Amino acid sequence: MNARLEKISRIAKAGLWGRRTQKAKMLILGRSLSDGLLFKLAIYLLLSIVAYLYLQPILYMVSTMFKTLSDLLDPTVKWIPREITWENVSKAINGLQYPQALRNTAIIALSCSIAQVLVCAMTGYALARLALPFKGLFMALIILTFLIPPQIIIIPLYVIFSKLGLLNTIFVFLIPAIFGQGLKGALFILIFMQFFKSQPPSLEEAAKLDGASTSRLFFGIMLPLARSACLVVFLFSFIWYWNMYYEPSMFLAKGFTPLSIRLNMLEEVLNPTLLGNTRTIINPVTESTKMAAAFLIIAPPILIFMFLQRWFVSGIERTGIVE
Amino acid sequence: MQAKERVRAKRLYIMGRYGTGLLFMLPWIIGFATFVLIPVSWSLFMAFNKVQVAAGGLKYEWIGMRNFRDAFLKDNVFPIELITYFQEMLLMVPIIVIFALLIALMLNQKFPGRFIYRALFFLPVIFATGQVLSELFLQGAGDIPFLDQYNLQPMVEEYVGKQFSETVMAVLGRAVLILWYSGVQILIFIAGFQTISPTIYEAVRIDGASPWDSFWKITLPACIPFISLNMLYTIIDLFTFPLNPVLKHIRDNMFKVDTGYGYASALAWVYFAFIFALIAIVLWLFNRSLNKRRVRS
Repeated sequence: MNARLEKISRIAKAGLWGRRTQKAKMLILGRSLSDGLLFKLAIYLLLSIVAYLYLQPILYMVSTMFKTLSDLLDPTVKWIPREITWENVSKAINGLQYPQALRNTAIIALSCSIAQVLVCAMTGYALARLALPFKGLFMALIILTFLIPPQIIIIPLYVIFSKLGLLNTIFVFLIPAIFGQGLKGALFILIFMQFFKSQPPSLEEAAKLDGASTSRLFFGIMLPLARSACLVVFLFSFIWYWNMYYEPSMFLAKGFTPLSIRLNMLEEVLNPTLLGNTRTIINPVTESTKMAAAFLIIAPPILIFMFLQRWFVSGIERTGIVE
Repeated sequence: MQAKERVRAKRLYIMGRYGTGLLFMLPWIIGFATFVLIPVSWSLFMAFNKVQVAAGGLKYEWIGMRNFRDAFLKDNVFPIELITYFQEMLLMVPIIVIFALLIALMLNQKFPGRFIYRALFFLPVIFATGQVLSELFLQGAGDIPFLDQYNLQPMVEEYVGKQFSETVMAVLGRAVLILWYSGVQILIFIAGFQTISPTIYEAVRIDGASPWDSFWKITLPACIPFISLNMLYTIIDLFTFPLNPVLKHIRDNMFKVDTGYGYASALAWVYFAFIFALIAIVLWLFNRSLNKRRVRS
């Protein structure tokens, strides 16, 4: 009797133990590999390593920015400077003429992005919903404008702008943006087109039955509906205008200078004796200052990104550009 | 009289049918004509001319194909730089796309905190400006740290030959900065994964497929359109890569007295033609593979 009871309890215990190990195994390995703990740890590890490598230049930038010259030349000081100095930052602010250049860059980026959002939305809506002759041709031309490298058209544009007397003013960027030829405008048109195509047509039909004109329908209903697409386009456009440097180096070299051009000129400002080809020389005296300047340039967009990162990251999914 | 009226009626009909559409397109059409069509044809015209800056503006002298001939026969920098850059690009494009695919696969898994990682990997899009990038590159901040430790050069030379090894080392030397160009591609891949319905994965799992199998048999084939989209985007993005020697050469020639705008335009057109050919090849390959799949299924 007793022996039998013992046997039963042993079997029960074994069963319990087996289930427990199975549960533990489930927890660690997961049902389909992709939801186990081990797998998640591996992903964390891999992603962290890659992210470290990825962000290393930025860490380098920030750490160099606060280094004094002796720290910079000392090979034992790698990441953390022995004393933090703000001298480089103030030198960079002076060298870049930061307040003025920042204002110029902000004005260009803001006004051009707003113009681009409006015009690209209109063009995208026309392509997605309105009756148009030669729609295929328009599409092909839009994609073509995306492919043409700026180097091909920069000289004629330079001549056109100088004939119109627009060089070194904000209009060299604002006018093309108003006419739908802003920075990567073709991409934005395609984003809007995809977005409007994915909307159900019943809304427009209802509005039309109620007697709304097409322009009223667009500005009153469709554009507010496209809020998320507008925000995505605005943010990308803003960032790309902020960062552009090839076009301003041609058009805005002498006036209305944005930050990216100032950074290019910084070496000469800091080191007036070094004339000519300074780009290829690494000058340890100005290195920290240049890193500080680079950081000052990317700081405002990073701040914006920190507040709006949800929109950036989920934006492309939400607008459905990939379908 | 009747014919005239018919024409008018037709015009009215066209205006009624297409009027609003054309009105919406009008800004773009004007912009295209003034800021794309005229400059492009002008630059094509300049490519066949010797352009000199004279007192009253630009002076043209028709020289036919000589600029293009000079680019390959006389210029001893341009062909070499073009070929080197294309070799680099053939390496960089797959590296960027494969890296983006791997990262997107990992970010697509469900784990707490993935939004932080998504933001991290998108961050370079925000600050990877040309000037900042070349500044960092000058300081040598873009290389992978273990590259120097293990002295890879002889090994690379052994595998790919001496000629190509320099290209490989150049690409590896700024690997991190190159990978910075994969932010948008990662997003496109993640968005692409969302279009695959999760029920397929469920079904295959019940049929006993391992995650490894389901990646190769479901995820990858479904991703082919996004891979091609990403390759195109990468190629176009690398057009204007700030460390691109070809663009620098074109810019240098623009302001030289003996070569000038005409020659620089010719160089730019040659460069464009090469890139266009590359894009056409990529499109053709992907179209073919898509068609094959369609036929099979």
